[in-house]
Amino acid sequence: MSKRQLPEGFQDLEPYLEWSLATDRERSIKRQTSPMTKITAFYQAVVPRMDEILAYLEQYPLEQVPADAQRLFYLTLSLAKIAPAVEMYGEPVPEGLDTLRLENIDIYPTRS
Amino acid sequence: MTLQTNGATGGKWHARYPELGTGPVPIEPYISLEYFEKEREHIFRKVWLNVGRVEQIPEPGDYFVKDLAVCRTSVIIVRGHDGQVHAFHNMCSHRGNPVVWNAKGTCKMFTCRYHSWTYGLDGTLRHIPDEKNFYGIKKDAHGLTPVAVDTWEGFIFINVDPRPKETLREYLGAAGESFEGYPFAEMATGCSTWEVDVNANWKVCKDAFQEVYHIFSLHNKSTGAAFASTSNPYLNVHELALFGPHARISVPANLDWKPTPVEALARRYGMLALQKQGSSSQGMPSGVNPTASPDWSFSGLIYFPNMCLFVADGGIIMHTMWPLSENRTHWEARTYFPKAKTLAHRFSQEYSRATFVDGVLVEDGGTFEKTQSMLASGAKKQVILGDEELLIRHHHKVTEQFFNA
Ligand code: FES
Ligand SMILES: [Fe+2]
Repeated sequence: MSKRQLPEGFQDLEPYLEWSLATDRERSIKRQTSPMTKITAFYQAVVPRMDEILAYLEQYPLEQVPADAQRLFYLTLSLAKIAPAVEMYGEPVPEGLDTLRLENIDIYPTRS
Repeated sequence: MTLQTNGATGGKWHARYPELGTGPVPIEPYISLEYFEKEREHIFRKVWLNVGRVEQIPEPGDYFVKDLAVCRTSVIIVRGHDGQVHAFHNMCSHRGNPVVWNAKGTCKMFTCRYHSWTYGLDGTLRHIPDEKNFYGIKKDAHGLTPVAVDTWEGFIFINVDPRPKETLREYLGAAGESFEGYPFAEMATGCSTWEVDVNANWKVCKDAFQEVYHIFSLHNKSTGAAFASTSNPYLNVHELALFGPHARISVPANLDWKPTPVEALARRYGMLALQKQGSSSQGMPSGVNPTASPDWSFSGLIYFPNMCLFVADGGIIMHTMWPLSENRTHWEARTYFPKAKTLAHRFSQEYSRATFVDGVLVEDGGTFEKTQSMLASGAKKQVILGDEELLIRHHHKVTEQFFNA
């Protein structure tokens, strides 16, 4: 059996680990390059579990998140990213400016 | 000038500001290089411009550099040992190299990469390598050239005019005053920014943020329904008000909007930057929901020339447009929000950012280059503005006043 990637109780989401991406740019590219069927399948798998997931994640202080919980957290960020595709647009990205042209910087906090 | 009599609502705002007229507006300001050069000399090199926030440079020695092509300079903004914010042209007194090459950092001294002339955080010239090789140079007379700088509610403004005609506060006037006391510092403990160079005149960008008439249409799939309601289908605003060169806009919400499942989740764990229904302006200054409307979503300070600052219950959205030429703009879109306390709160903010990117960067941003290319076609000489587009008209009027001053 392969090593558990997500916290106990969330292993059923492991088929969606391809959405567990650390950077905003990776998540943008994933959204842009995935067909709606895949985006929707991910959405439908995660949304019903979100209450449980967020409650689970809330137990960790921001600076001390174990790797498996971090992976789970990245899934929620991908959900935030693709939710508009499912709930608003019915296609991976809306018509308009290509988001890959954007330079996204978190200007601060550069220190805490 | 006569008002349209086609039974439209046109005229409500015009009645308040009849001096702005109702006629069409020429396209030339959006496509002319000559016009752009006038904007540069009469406006951008004369007025206070927002370049950032104090949170970017919390400690003495923290600095950032702002390249201001439109002012033909690059400016260092630094917190000095005196705790104050200082600004200097980023130009070495020796032979003109920019003293700082990186975009931001922390240092005790600025050392020019070229020949290592060294300057203090106060701009004074401290050290010249092999000084005896120079001809009795007086170091006191060769510090960095200062740029006027001041702060308002934590926002840092510079003015490259060596002798600004007005203080920042005088320039901000009553418009600025009416936003003083909004919890800017509390809201701005976090910041995300998106920057992009677009092939469009800077006013094409700004115009998209000084009217909300387009929301029902351009944003029909995203935020349209959250703002526009059956009783206000075209999102006529609560207020448009003019204050000298600046303006204020206050935007309704659709109280009947039912959040989508993920939006509802995100709201449960934190306010969203562009809060829609359920916003409260309690305890906020007079410019925030100035009409005290229960169906309020956000209010904006449209700062002349190039900043649109929107404040809501949950956070701040700001757009700054930096002209690069008559048909090129560096657009900075920012969301300021309180630093997240939990992972769930981070998720909530991520949703807020995602919808901001889709609904604003992509959808509004998608119009800029398309519009510009047709404005430049020469097919038409003017555009038409409705009553709800008063602030666009106002911008052109203010520009004329600057040109004639
Ligand atoms: S140009 Fe700066 S030290 Fe020579
Ligand atoms: Fe818009």
